[in-house]
Amino acid sequence: MRKLGVGRTVAWVMLFILLIVTLFPFYWMLRTAFSDNTQLPGHPNSLLPVETTLGAFKRVLGLSTIEEAQAQGGSGAAVNFWLYLRNSLVVATITTVCQVFFSAMAAYAFARLRWPGRDKVFALFLAALMVPPIFTTLPNFVLIKNLGLLNSFAGIILPGAFMTPFAIFFLRQFFLGINRELEEAAMIDGAGHRRIFFGLIIPMSAAPIATLAILTYINSWNDYFWPLLVGQQENVRVLTVALGVFRSQTPQGGPDWAGLMAATLIAALPMIILFLAFAKRITNSIGFSGIK
Amino acid sequence: MIFIAPATLGFVVFYIWPTLRGAYLSFTEYSLLEAPKFNGLANYERMVQDSFFWNALGVTVEYVVINIGVQTVLAVGIAMLMYRLTKSITVRAIVLAPYLVANVVVALVWYWMLDVQVGVVNTFLGWVGIDPVAFFGDSHWAIPTVAGINVWRHMGYTALLVFAGLQTIPSYVYEAAEVDGSTEWKTFWRITLPLLRPVLVMVLVVTMIGSFQIFDTVAVTTQGGPINATRVIYYYIYERAFTRFDFGYASAMALVLFAILAVVSLLQLRLLRAKESDLA
Amino acid sequence: MLTRRTLLKAGLASLAVPAVAACNNGAAARADGEIIYWLWDSAQLPMYTECAKVFHEQNPQYSVKIEQYGWNDYWSKLVTGFISDTAPDVFTGHSSKYPLFADKGQVLPIDDYVARDNVDLGIYQKGLADRWIGADGKRYGLPKDWDTEVYFYNSAFTEAAGISAEQLNSMTWNPKDGGTFEQIVRRLTVDSKDRRGDQPGFDKDNIKVYGLGYADAGGGDGQTSWSWYAAINGWKYSEGEPWGTKFFYGDPKFTETIGWWRGLITKGYMPTYAQAKSGVDVTTSFGAGKYAITPNGSWMLGTYGTLKQVKSKLARLPIGPVGKRMSMMNGLADTIWAGTTQRDASWAWVKFLGSQTAQDIVAKAGVVFPAVAASMPAAKAAFAKSGWDVTPFLEPVEAGDVFPYPANPNAADVTAVMTPAMESVMSFEAEPSSLAKANDDVNQILSANT
Repeated sequence: MRKLGVGRTVAWVMLFILLIVTLFPFYWMLRTAFSDNTQLPGHPNSLLPVETTLGAFKRVLGLSTIEEAQAQGGSGAAVNFWLYLRNSLVVATITTVCQVFFSAMAAYAFARLRWPGRDKVFALFLAALMVPPIFTTLPNFVLIKNLGLLNSFAGIILPGAFMTPFAIFFLRQFFLGINRELEEAAMIDGAGHRRIFFGLIIPMSAAPIATLAILTYINSWNDYFWPLLVGQQENVRVLTVALGVFRSQTPQGGPDWAGLMAATLIAALPMIILFLAFAKRITNSIGFSGIK
Repeated sequence: MIFIAPATLGFVVFYIWPTLRGAYLSFTEYSLLEAPKFNGLANYERMVQDSFFWNALGVTVEYVVINIGVQTVLAVGIAMLMYRLTKSITVRAIVLAPYLVANVVVALVWYWMLDVQVGVVNTFLGWVGIDPVAFFGDSHWAIPTVAGINVWRHMGYTALLVFAGLQTIPSYVYEAAEVDGSTEWKTFWRITLPLLRPVLVMVLVVTMIGSFQIFDTVAVTTQGGPINATRVIYYYIYERAFTRFDFGYASAMALVLFAILAVVSLLQLRLLRAKESDLA
Repeated sequence: MLTRRTLLKAGLASLAVPAVAACNNGAAARADGEIIYWLWDSAQLPMYTECAKVFHEQNPQYSVKIEQYGWNDYWSKLVTGFISDTAPDVFTGHSSKYPLFADKGQVLPIDDYVARDNVDLGIYQKGLADRWIGADGKRYGLPKDWDTEVYFYNSAFTEAAGISAEQLNSMTWNPKDGGTFEQIVRRLTVDSKDRRGDQPGFDKDNIKVYGLGYADAGGGDGQTSWSWYAAINGWKYSEGEPWGTKFFYGDPKFTETIGWWRGLITKGYMPTYAQAKSGVDVTTSFGAGKYAITPNGSWMLGTYGTLKQVKSKLARLPIGPVGKRMSMMNGLADTIWAGTTQRDASWAWVKFLGSQTAQDIVAKAGVVFPAVAASMPAAKAAFAKSGWDVTPFLEPVEAGDVFPYPANPNAADVTAVMTPAMESVMSFEAEPSSLAKANDDVNQILSANT
């Protein structure tokens, strides 16, 4: 590449500024979460926590009494963290597994099998990519209600469990690129489509399937609107919804910012851990998804 | 056919059926608590005269333009920086980090940081001699603020998509440019950007569809205010349907949004298909 | 290798477990006699938990499960609950919301129960019980508390400005020059060079402490922002209070009041609308020493009490052109969901919460004012213990100089018009006279829906 000239120095400075802008909000969450909420308004400039305390985390997790929490500017409400974490895990995991698996099957059918009307049906599926979710959300909500599935995991999971147009589109593009010769060789050996799909296509597509799974997991974990509508009750409430409820439970007039930030960090923690564990794979795979 | 059966089931039940049902409800008066009553085109007639609807559309378009514009420029910039400077996984991981945090959480954190009196961003502005900005309270700032927050969350993700596109450009193209004595700046405009176009258009289609559906950030921060400045179409539909028991009208607006999205996406896709790549 | 069948089985099994688990929870599986009760104020959770305990002791066949959600979630969850048949049996109602629910048949009229059990409606503060008779003439709730408004002031600031408690409690107001109220606000405003609003060289563009804070533009009710100024200027919300059939937001008495109010922004005594609305709310800013005076409702006493960096005290609202002080008087009541399967238990709980036994528990907690008049002394004592002299809240009620919250079955639609209209005026994007147009829109909504 080129020598370290003025241009490259400027570029490095820009990159550095970018990283600061990206990371600062994460730091600010930490700083606020470790502060005493009642002291926060008086010290907006302090870059360090104000009267460092673990109080916010304690009251979010319900480890302090209501009186203690209220004295610290909280509401006495707690996030039932482990329950909501379990719910989020259940929802994200089942959604991801089902969606990716079924989408892969459909993608295989669109990419490799020959049947009448295939391309037209595929075009129809693609058009669904443009249907705004809110348009399907309203009738789906009514449907889920009529099915009696409100406030159940099934209600939260079902709409995304079978397919998304994006997932099918994404995997089809990849399956199209798989070498046909291998497949034909397998066919000569007498393998049916079922064996080819499970024995050949899936193992060979491990990378894009993993990519899609990770993306689906992130999106499903972060989904707010749908679970807010159908999964309001405690027993099926996911973390994102719980955080919204915790926010609105803070005392009228004086939000418990420290508690809120603590709750935010706690809610983001599982994702951050997942991210740290798979950082390389995620960054590489997202790059991958950009190329058709 | 067993391969396509589950996906088709999901497609019909959760995409086709609700689309048709939604289309039907858009011709009814439906309060959610009573059975829908057919009322013909009344909802659409109302929409034409509903200044809130037009305002919501305008606000949404303003948001999309700012959001997509800034995000795309920044993403290309970041991708170029990463491409030219470092292949470090750490840098890429940090750039992507905001995408991992849920929309709601991102909105909450920025809401706190951008407060006019006790927000840290205004403290920083004060240090460099700028008066506090009421990011969420000022009707001129509200939409750019909301757009900026979402740019912060998505720019890393988009940058990585562009970055992947950059990697597909063969190095001999650059070598040739260097031999011709082209400057880095010229190379970017004359070679990199044109070759990047297919990826860029694809990124634009996907982000544009998402961008029209901005909801979370508004719901958590401004809730449509000040003076309707952030009452985006998605939020307005939600309000009508769930706080004002006006489900039929909300469905009609959703159908119009669908039509708009379809037209915009088709235009973009046509653009994409027109020239797959300038390299060929 | 996994076969498709085993995968499918695993998939089905994983789907089935949570689905079955979910079935065990819903409203249908509830024990007979157990009711679910919702409220939104976290500060009131402890005292109602106590009430539920006493209620269960007195009525062993019934028990109450209390759930609390913040104001915004509370209403959207409630609506979703109505739609999905998962609403709570009993919930705290608000004047701005219950008329719509009554209109849609979602809340249960309790006239028959009241008549059957001979409930004495005379034990409540005057006028309160009538607030819960809907536009259709049916009763939808028994009052449980009430609230009025006063000024909360930062006593360190008023002492520094040389303003006595007597002065603060005998303020006058008029829409022309704001009376002694505006003089006090002016004196309490301090610019960045420590010059007061009534001192030479005062720089209205660089303010350190605003004399008066406000939370928002007030929407259609102005409960904690402008309602009392308009009232003492001789203005009424609507024809036929509280069930307005025709509103008067275009009335000159109202528009001149708002014109005066927003004039305080021009003069530098109040922050701009953008500043007031951006981010944290008015009490946090008051707690950070940015405001000298903030008007607020009695339900906020607890929040002001937790502000550690300032000492807040109460001052009466001003006397206006009509020759007296006036405050909005609003209150809450418990209402029963029409779809409840536990009508008798629900009624028993509502009746209990409206009784003096329950209201004494509420009063002793010192968080809100109980609706039962005989419970008031206990509340006063409880507030005195936390250092509040709540007299300014009580006086307008005792004098009968109160006006009701503008209730309306179309409240959500009226709010949708009035909130942006008032915001436009307060941010100087429209003149107060533009409210006449908003008023027309409001009246059109009302006539279209009746």
